[in-house]
Amino acid sequence: MVTDDLFDLVSYRIHPEAHIRLNVDVCQGCTHRACTFSCPARCYTWSEERSRVEFAYEACLECGTCLFICDREAVDWHYPPGGYGVRFRLT
Amino acid sequence: MPPAAPNSAVSGTTTPDSAIRGSGSGAPTPGSFDAVVVGAGPAGTSAALALARGGARVILLERGEYPGAKNMFGGMTAYCPAPEQLVPGFWERAPWERAVTKRILSVVGAASSTSLVFQAESGSDRPSVGVGSTSDRSLTGFTLFRPQFDRWYAEQAVAQGVTLLSGCRVEGLVVRGGAVRGVRVAGVDDIVEAPLVIVCDGALSLLAQDAGLHKGFKPEQMALGVRALYALTEEEVNDRFGLSGREGATHEFLGCTEGVRGGGFIYTQTDTLSVGVVVHLDSLKARELPAYELLERFVASSPVAHVLRGARLIEYSAHLLPEAGIKMVPRLSTAGVLVAGDAAGFCYTNGLTQEGMNLAMTSGMIAGRVGAEALAVGDVSAPRLSRYAKELKESFVLRDLATWSRAIGFMHHDRLFTAYPQVVSALMEDIYRSEGHPKEKILKLGRRAAKNGLPVRQLIADMFEAGRAFLW
Repeated sequence: MVTDDLFDLVSYRIHPEAHIRLNVDVCQGCTHRACTFSCPARCYTWSEERSRVEFAYEACLECGTCLFICDREAVDWHYPPGGYGVRFRLT
Repeated sequence: MPPAAPNSAVSGTTTPDSAIRGSGSGAPTPGSFDAVVVGAGPAGTSAALALARGGARVILLERGEYPGAKNMFGGMTAYCPAPEQLVPGFWERAPWERAVTKRILSVVGAASSTSLVFQAESGSDRPSVGVGSTSDRSLTGFTLFRPQFDRWYAEQAVAQGVTLLSGCRVEGLVVRGGAVRGVRVAGVDDIVEAPLVIVCDGALSLLAQDAGLHKGFKPEQMALGVRALYALTEEEVNDRFGLSGREGATHEFLGCTEGVRGGGFIYTQTDTLSVGVVVHLDSLKARELPAYELLERFVASSPVAHVLRGARLIEYSAHLLPEAGIKMVPRLSTAGVLVAGDAAGFCYTNGLTQEGMNLAMTSGMIAGRVGAEALAVGDVSAPRLSRYAKELKESFVLRDLATWSRAIGFMHHDRLFTAYPQVVSALMEDIYRSEGHPKEKILKLGRRAAKNGLPVRQLIADMFEAGRAFLW
């Protein structure tokens, strides 16, 4: 198994609007950037180029880890609108 | 504000948006429901069923496309009698995968692992396997897939008169005069009003916070589980775990998470394996190790790679689990609202057993019953609903959490996941090694094995703590 394979296997119904918003201004100054390695869906990445944490909601698994990991309250967390987001299959 | 209730009776096939925006399509009048249950998982559906059976008109709201769509659980639920009181013949009919007759616990060291295997007397001819008989002590529980299980369970609730609305996200509670009077659903001014709300919205417990029942769970109270699902054939699963018929096995691992507090697991479904790791969030943060990397290494480790040979990876998922036991249990009710299941912190592991779904179904059922009785007498005040907590304290739900409170705390020591697995491995290697030298007795070997990682005083203190946690 290669980690990258994992992420290709998840099924979503993506809503055009993000259900989680990251306040990048609050983010600046965070020293641990724990969201970048704690998020199990790799939604948070460190951009060397822009020197900030970047967030993309599309691959979110709605687990809530970022809500607990962030100690600066930079994460405005909601579930996606009803029927949207990740959907686990009937196997 | 004008209350706008959603569409009339619907089943699990409701599509998301259309269900909510029901204006002009025969929406029921305000007051058409006595109770709103949020979340169609095991707790919510049990609550809805208990309410309906107690004569209440119930609406069950689920944010997924159908109940179970948001659930990645591929584990084992302990046998639980509660749903049999709500759905006759529950365990005979429910869509579970395998009846667990084999439990393996492995302690993983650097160069070896040591396992404890519980194996119920085997034989696919034994009639009680898979029936769910309480008299069969070998039946420790069932493995199941929640997308199937939750959907089926919610259908049973619909059959008993519960109105199910899927694809419906609850945004918050409606509070008036100090009492919860309903919920706000998607859209700006859509409200479902009812005198009673039971919140079963899962591990993040956002609505119980909204109700002021707690101030949010803490990272050190939560664990992150990541899981990969692998496909094999039914025969391959049976062969690799020594099972027959619908017998199932669970295999848990300690010491496989590179020093992050947590463990690994393999659960057998009919023709698939759930393989994953569960790690404490605060420990994950401190160690700076992504859970999917721990998963990748766990999958490649020798005991796991062996059973996965030739298996096809088919799904990946992640979820949080409340894991702090009785210490994180919030206030369980206030005027007009009750909380059950994961949302109430009813989920734990003491290292030997992992329980959650049984606590969810039982707490949901009790919440529903207390709620139905309160509605029947027209009193949903805080004092009246506090009977819920009282009943839970008499049930195994809160009693087990209290019994294992030290054990749950014990599971938060780092050395249990680092030093101890290495000591066990070193000791067992010494015991089995034979290379022409005189043998030593076990205490001496143990002291040598522990020499580098564990001072004797620490060892003795831990033994005493473990004794208090598990033995007396």
